[in-house]
Amino acid sequence: MTQAALVLDNLVVQQQKQTLIRLSTCINAGQIVTIMGPSGVGKSSLLGAIAGLLPAGLTCEGTIWLNGQNITHMPAYQRRTGLLYQDALLFEHLDVAGNIAFGMPRGNRGQRRELTQAMLEQVGLSDMAARPVTTLSGGQQARVALLRTLAAKPAALLLDEPFSKLDSRTRQTTRDWVFTQIQEAGLPALLVTHDKQDALATGDKIIEVTPC
Amino acid sequence: MVFELCIRSARALFYLVLLLPVCVGVMGIVLPAVGYFPALGETEFSLTAVHRLLAVEGLPKMVLLALFTSISATVIALLCTIALLAQFYQRPALQIIQHGLSPVLAIPHAATAIGIGFVLAPTGWVARLIASVTESWQLPPQSSLLYDSQGVAIILALAVKELPFILLMALGVLSQPHLKARLAAQFAVAQSLGYQRQTAFIYAVFPVVYSQLKLPIIAVLAYASASVEIPLLLGPQNPPTLAVAILQWFNHIDLSMRLLASAAACLQLLVTAGAVGLWLLAERVAKLFFTGLVVNGARGDGARLIAFCAWLTASVMALMISVFLVSLLSWSVAGYWPYPQLLPGSVTVQHWHTAAQALADPLANTVWLAGLATPIAVVLVLLFLEGESVAQRRQRRYFTVDQVLFIPLIVPGVAFLYGLVWCTQWLLPGHVWLPTVVSHLIYVLPYVFLSLAVAYRRLDIRFINVASSLGASPWQVFLQVKLPMLFAPVMVAAALGAAISFGQYLPTLLASGGRLATLTTEAVATASGGSRRLTAVYAIMQMLLPLAGFVLAWLLPRVLFNPAQRHHTGAK
Repeated sequence: MTQAALVLDNLVVQQQKQTLIRLSTCINAGQIVTIMGPSGVGKSSLLGAIAGLLPAGLTCEGTIWLNGQNITHMPAYQRRTGLLYQDALLFEHLDVAGNIAFGMPRGNRGQRRELTQAMLEQVGLSDMAARPVTTLSGGQQARVALLRTLAAKPAALLLDEPFSKLDSRTRQTTRDWVFTQIQEAGLPALLVTHDKQDALATGDKIIEVTPC
Repeated sequence: MVFELCIRSARALFYLVLLLPVCVGVMGIVLPAVGYFPALGETEFSLTAVHRLLAVEGLPKMVLLALFTSISATVIALLCTIALLAQFYQRPALQIIQHGLSPVLAIPHAATAIGIGFVLAPTGWVARLIASVTESWQLPPQSSLLYDSQGVAIILALAVKELPFILLMALGVLSQPHLKARLAAQFAVAQSLGYQRQTAFIYAVFPVVYSQLKLPIIAVLAYASASVEIPLLLGPQNPPTLAVAILQWFNHIDLSMRLLASAAACLQLLVTAGAVGLWLLAERVAKLFFTGLVVNGARGDGARLIAFCAWLTASVMALMISVFLVSLLSWSVAGYWPYPQLLPGSVTVQHWHTAAQALADPLANTVWLAGLATPIAVVLVLLFLEGESVAQRRQRRYFTVDQVLFIPLIVPGVAFLYGLVWCTQWLLPGHVWLPTVVSHLIYVLPYVFLSLAVAYRRLDIRFINVASSLGASPWQVFLQVKLPMLFAPVMVAAALGAAISFGQYLPTLLASGGRLATLTTEAVATASGGSRRLTAVYAIMQMLLPLAGFVLAWLLPRVLFNPAQRHHTGAK
């Protein structure tokens, strides 16, 4: 049996012994699984549990497998689970290239710079490398945020309503582009949203969650 | 994990700095007070020192003066703060007041005392102004508020110093993210129920603010009850306040006076505790009275009175600060200037020359002390806060520190610093810099923490999440994400810490055994003896130094860790 890339085996997020959300699912490389549900059911906490970044007061049980490795008790920074929020959260003390370089693993300085430039060119932002991130439009910021995440060579992607702050036109193009990138990179992805359009656009599995 | 170890040791060191010197210092005065002082060959426990203290003439007056001045000043400062907030809450004027009063916070106590002394002096600028406008007071007035036996001048100076602190702390509470919206809504509700805005603020918003303001207020009250610089420069001398008397007894040539001074320092602890106790008692009574007032249905109670008090406070403060600055500036360049002329007959830079020569060493010492104590404090506080945020993510309990912070601020320095000096002289004889830097650190650390904690705890946790999920280790997150993002608040905290260090009088004087002269010790020494013109120069220097720190703190974040700046200059 070939194992799926990201496996959640009976993952439960709890708040003081009370179950917020419970999920078991397998996500293959290149597949985008959507979790839908009303706000407050702990969708974001679930992503936090997978990334190893549960907020204070929450605990989780169950097992998380990533490419055959049990990452349930690993520190967040070793898990290689890329995280995208609805805000781009670019570091304002760094310029555009600096943000992408922040995600990149250590290596030869020249190569890193070339790679950064290549990534920016790929998304049509090649002249933006030295720009302060605050001068970018919302769609541009979203693209840089994904480039930064991909630069870190993640093994899975966790998307927490990543398009909900974009206007409707930017939203569609950004969404299509993000999904293509994920499929091209062959990464398992988990998308949390309350927008039906987002969910349908994945053309993949949708899990509806209700309050426990 | 090296980083983990750093965090743990920083936490231990943090508590050590806050608690150990105070505990050791208190021990170091209690033992001599009961007759145990090996340095003088006293090893028999006895109550001789206590009896000698009780026999001192005017002791009740000293104690009462300390209690009266500190409590009055704190009550005045608190009432003025309430009036200002009630009148200007959610109005643009509040910001103007905030910006106007913030710099006053950075003026050292010694400089404040000197400035107020200039304002009140019988031949001061105010008296000259009255003389030139009204034809009366052609000779300097016989009576003056300066050195008055009731301590009115002390109360005035303490209140001027306390008001900005209490007000800024209150504004800090009002801007807390989880309170801001709720309080604004409750304020709106109270107004919609027919309460005037001033009353609505006092009835609906202020009680919440006060509960968080209590500890800072107790700290300023405790400080005021044992402050040295202000009563020394403005207060009555026969008898002075207890704290000033303690200073004189400790510095007496007759070493046996030290036992008496130690007993008096213990009494000072009781006096400060008494002031705090009285405050807490008065608070209870006020609460009973206040609760009845809130629910009696009256809606416009005193709104006009409050408005009047607020405007009065704002104008008096503005006027006082202006006269204060004008006086200092004009005296610092005054040549021959007979009373009652409003302006100096001639202008000279000679006092500045004299000061420049005399102050080269003290200035270097001042900068060195701040330059050593401030970075240590900032690093300790940063690592401590980082430990707190790590513990929170790991769901571990973390001992909350906010109350511990106030311990060195509440226990009077005039009491514990002497005991501390006695211990360090015994353990590290001959050392000057180490004990002085440590004694500065005791005071710098709490303020740096208070200034930095808000910004640190408010940082959007998702930035840290993103950085960790990109593979950055906790150390990298701290160094490459948190520090650059918090660069501006870190610089402000450092500037505040340096300002606190610059202003320290007693810790510098005592811990160094008088061997390290700083700007502040020289200013006090000159003010209590020498030329008024030179004193003005010293006081101005005392204000310029912290100002330079804050300007730097404002400037650096614009240049460093700011891609916009680089982009801008690159584009040129």
